[in-house]
Amino acid sequence: MDLFLQQLVNGLSLGGIYALIALGYTMIYGIIELINFAHGDVYTLGTFFSLAILTLLGVTGIVTGPLLVVVVIVTMLGAMILCGLTGVVIERLAYRRLRNAPRLAPLITAIGMSFILENLMQYWHGPSPIPFPQVIPNPDVHLGAVTIATKQILVVVLAIGLMIVLRAFVYRTKLGQAMRATAQDRDAAQLMGIDINTTIALTFLIGSALAGAAGFVSGVYYGSTWFFNGFGAGLKAFTAAVLGGIGNLTGAMLGGFLIGLIEAMTTQLISDQWSNVVVFSVLVLVLIFRPSGLLGESLPAKV
Amino acid sequence: MRRLQPYLLFGAAIVLPLIFSNGGFVNFLADAGAFVLLALGLNIVVGFAGLLDLGYAAFFAIGSYTFAMLASPQFGIHIPFWVMLFLASGVAAVFGILLGAPTLRLRGDYLAIVTLGFGEIVPQTFLNLSQWTGGPNGIGSLDQPAIFGYRFGFQALPYYYLILGLIGVAVLAANNLRASRLGRAWMAIREDELAAAHAGINTTVTKLSAFAIGASFSGLAGCAYASKLQLVSPDQFGFNVSVAVLSMLVLGGMGNIPGVIVGSLVISSLDRFILPQLTNFMHGFGVAIDLTNSRFLIYGVILVLTMLFRPEGLIPSRQRRSELHAAGDAALAEQTLYTEAVP
Amino acid sequence: MRLTPLLRVCLAVALGALLSACSSSTTSTATSTAPGSGGTIEIGVDLPISGADAAIGVPTQNGAVLAIEEANKNGFTGGVFKLESSLLDDAVQGVHDPAAGAQNVKTFIADSAVLAMVGPFNSNVAKSEIPLTDDAGLAQISPSNTNDGLTVGPDAKNLRTAHPDTNTYFRVCTKDSRQGGALAQFAQKLGFKKVFIIDDNETYGKGLADTFEAAYKGLGGTVLGHEHITANQQDFKALLTKVQSTAPDAVFFGGNTSTGGGLLRRQMGDVGMSATPFVGGDGISDTAEFVKEAGAMANNVYYSFAAPDADKLPSAKAFVQAYKARFNSDVGPYSAPAFAAAQIIIAAIEKAVKDDGGKMPTRADVLKNIAATNDFPTPIGKIGFDANGDTTAPMLTLKKMLAGGKTETVAQITLK
Repeated sequence: MDLFLQQLVNGLSLGGIYALIALGYTMIYGIIELINFAHGDVYTLGTFFSLAILTLLGVTGIVTGPLLVVVVIVTMLGAMILCGLTGVVIERLAYRRLRNAPRLAPLITAIGMSFILENLMQYWHGPSPIPFPQVIPNPDVHLGAVTIATKQILVVVLAIGLMIVLRAFVYRTKLGQAMRATAQDRDAAQLMGIDINTTIALTFLIGSALAGAAGFVSGVYYGSTWFFNGFGAGLKAFTAAVLGGIGNLTGAMLGGFLIGLIEAMTTQLISDQWSNVVVFSVLVLVLIFRPSGLLGESLPAKV
Repeated sequence: MRRLQPYLLFGAAIVLPLIFSNGGFVNFLADAGAFVLLALGLNIVVGFAGLLDLGYAAFFAIGSYTFAMLASPQFGIHIPFWVMLFLASGVAAVFGILLGAPTLRLRGDYLAIVTLGFGEIVPQTFLNLSQWTGGPNGIGSLDQPAIFGYRFGFQALPYYYLILGLIGVAVLAANNLRASRLGRAWMAIREDELAAAHAGINTTVTKLSAFAIGASFSGLAGCAYASKLQLVSPDQFGFNVSVAVLSMLVLGGMGNIPGVIVGSLVISSLDRFILPQLTNFMHGFGVAIDLTNSRFLIYGVILVLTMLFRPEGLIPSRQRRSELHAAGDAALAEQTLYTEAVP
Repeated sequence: MRLTPLLRVCLAVALGALLSACSSSTTSTATSTAPGSGGTIEIGVDLPISGADAAIGVPTQNGAVLAIEEANKNGFTGGVFKLESSLLDDAVQGVHDPAAGAQNVKTFIADSAVLAMVGPFNSNVAKSEIPLTDDAGLAQISPSNTNDGLTVGPDAKNLRTAHPDTNTYFRVCTKDSRQGGALAQFAQKLGFKKVFIIDDNETYGKGLADTFEAAYKGLGGTVLGHEHITANQQDFKALLTKVQSTAPDAVFFGGNTSTGGGLLRRQMGDVGMSATPFVGGDGISDTAEFVKEAGAMANNVYYSFAAPDADKLPSAKAFVQAYKARFNSDVGPYSAPAFAAAQIIIAAIEKAVKDDGGKMPTRADVLKNIAATNDFPTPIGKIGFDANGDTTAPMLTLKKMLAGGKTETVAQITLK
């Protein structure tokens, strides 16, 4: 039983990272119906930016006391802003022109962008994994025989927290309303006076910023980063977004945690080498039997 | 004259390795030829029927492993190569149907992601089932073809001609299919699936046949390539292969057979010649950069630039060009000036 | 002029042909002295030198290059021939690729100046190369392949179908079965009664883990489990939690630092296994990289190294110094073996030239001389080849990584 609970903790932490990335995927898909392949690489970029900021701040190990809070906030915000800007730039350069093109075009462009980002990151820090400072002090929380690391708590709290903030933004503010309108019907939104370009750029900004936050958290959680991380994580996060219902924020978070749990449980109950196969099989099964996901609504195809 | 073009080019292809008979070059031609076959197969799925398949390497893996398991010391079964060509392409076609079936109700993007998922599942499964597939070691010492008592051996030249023959068959098949009822059904689905269904086309059969026939080409390529390399291993069939083949289509012109062939040769040349030569060139100027490491950066740039500025590819079909350049009749009129050359 | 599609195709083909004509071989060494009166002899080097594999491939290549440069400096064949290297890369997108390896070998075979080659680095690439070199009679020496099936057993026979009685493949490092067996004995001696085995599901890693498992069980040890990690995996916590629940005395890892060894070790600390020792083979012997990736957990890690202890062998010390001076960086774990492989080839070529009376030797002559190598002194000890191409009496050094990036030698054994 303890083992099960421990794996539960592992799965939720992993899932928290997926959830943050999935939020960005679902937002972008919701608004321009594009699977932003490069999103996973923006997540890795977030780790790289965080590393750069921490190096700038001179942090190489654990930070204690009130300084810790400052460092975490500064680094995370910095990574989020930089990633957000990256997302906006990518949208402007690669996707905007293709907004009205057949669906194949932006999808292929996104794949191309993903490669470009991966290679640029490989130039930046080389092809091998690089260490990331620990930042968060060690003391773990013990609930019986289950150990929860402070890092793991951070991941889950951050994922849920950011999702709540995001939901508030999307459902309670005017800008959020504009995003929802654009997602629902782009032309009508334009007719109502909404500036589509700005709204879409804003969506990319926020979605990529979330990926940046995920990047920072992942760096702390694993103690290392690598240029190619984004590919696998991005794919699984997209699976999570689909599982939860694409276009649905709560769904993305739910999907993220679920995928994390599925991975952990597969490793425990079957074997580590099958965990990827199981996750992708989940993707396939969801898309066959319930393409709208767990929390999504079945939208009839518009003719 | 235009009619003779394909035959002339084919003739040139036959003669080419006899003129440039460097062993390394002929080997490159044979390998590039296998990828031309793959590109032609993917062209049927993506180019003709408009089904974006991001995991085509899975079918390549299935074709190759089928050959490896039935024509090697692995299980002691040695089915003759020429029979294996049919068998492997048949098995690949069956899996095309199996893997295509779940995607029938899906729209473009979701279809792409599911095929991507399969592209990850299949090689990993081959890796994990090590009792049958040899695990990471793969299966080696595969049988070589023999024709009229002549065994192929380790020279690349006979494999080149074999693959060239397979390409010829594939091009003929693809051309005939394109002009047939099935081909038109594919194009109808590509343009507007709902309208096609309402016009009486059985979308299920049409889509499944696109997957099956596209996959069967990779079965052929798998046989020839595996036999030549004498090895199949799971790491040969990753996402990078699926993307490379897709890049060939995108660059060359989707749906257009000559375009696909050219695109395939360009991307293969990029790998084997252009990048290493460019690197040497830069070294000569004292710029210490290794471009062969940037293969995927260059693919990425090619994909992005092509989609932004010339989505119809290098050698487009008139249809594609007109539909992709929706804006600007002037641009269209200018381009229609040099159209019909494409057969 | 307007480019009709046909013209474009012709241009593409012509371009390809032109480029191929220009690129009959690729990069050669930069040390250009005046060519010898007899011409140029080349040694091919096929290793993964780009991307993630470059971290371990480039230092290996440097070892071979150093040997070739030193040979030229010391008067190769008395100045009759000039020695060059032909350096090719078998990594595609940073990962070793058997098809690229086969292509490179074909390039070497087609180049008549290449009399022998060093490489490949990876066992699965060797599987696609050995049939080709066997067919062409081109000698190849690998600095690092450890898979048993390349030299012994039915697999090895199947690789040599062209000329079953000739062996063109040699290696200066020890086989998995010997390394795995030695590590199993070692684990027993250290008092590890229960071990959990993890491997990276690649040819080298899985091979080593399997032989370790068989030997360890044979010595009475308990194997608590055997799991495989996936390529590019980042999160090992679920797996390690599972491992921890079995309470092993040690964790054995079959694989390389670059395929997850370092990250796996680091995350052991996160699940409360900091006190559990980690045992690996020569795949984690690149200690600089391992320490970087494992961080504070790179302590209490045992690994083997298929060569005598560099600190105790004077020729090894000289090699390390020369390497540092030439390349301005530390040696990699396979630099010395590659140097040794190249040395053997150079000696074989020189003998063949002498025996031929100063004429250009044939590949068969060079092959014969390599096969007859016995007691040849190199920075990794004295090397000789048996009939299968394996080293006779190889040495295995067992080392331990300590806190602060230090290492200590625990044992040095000569394997029978």
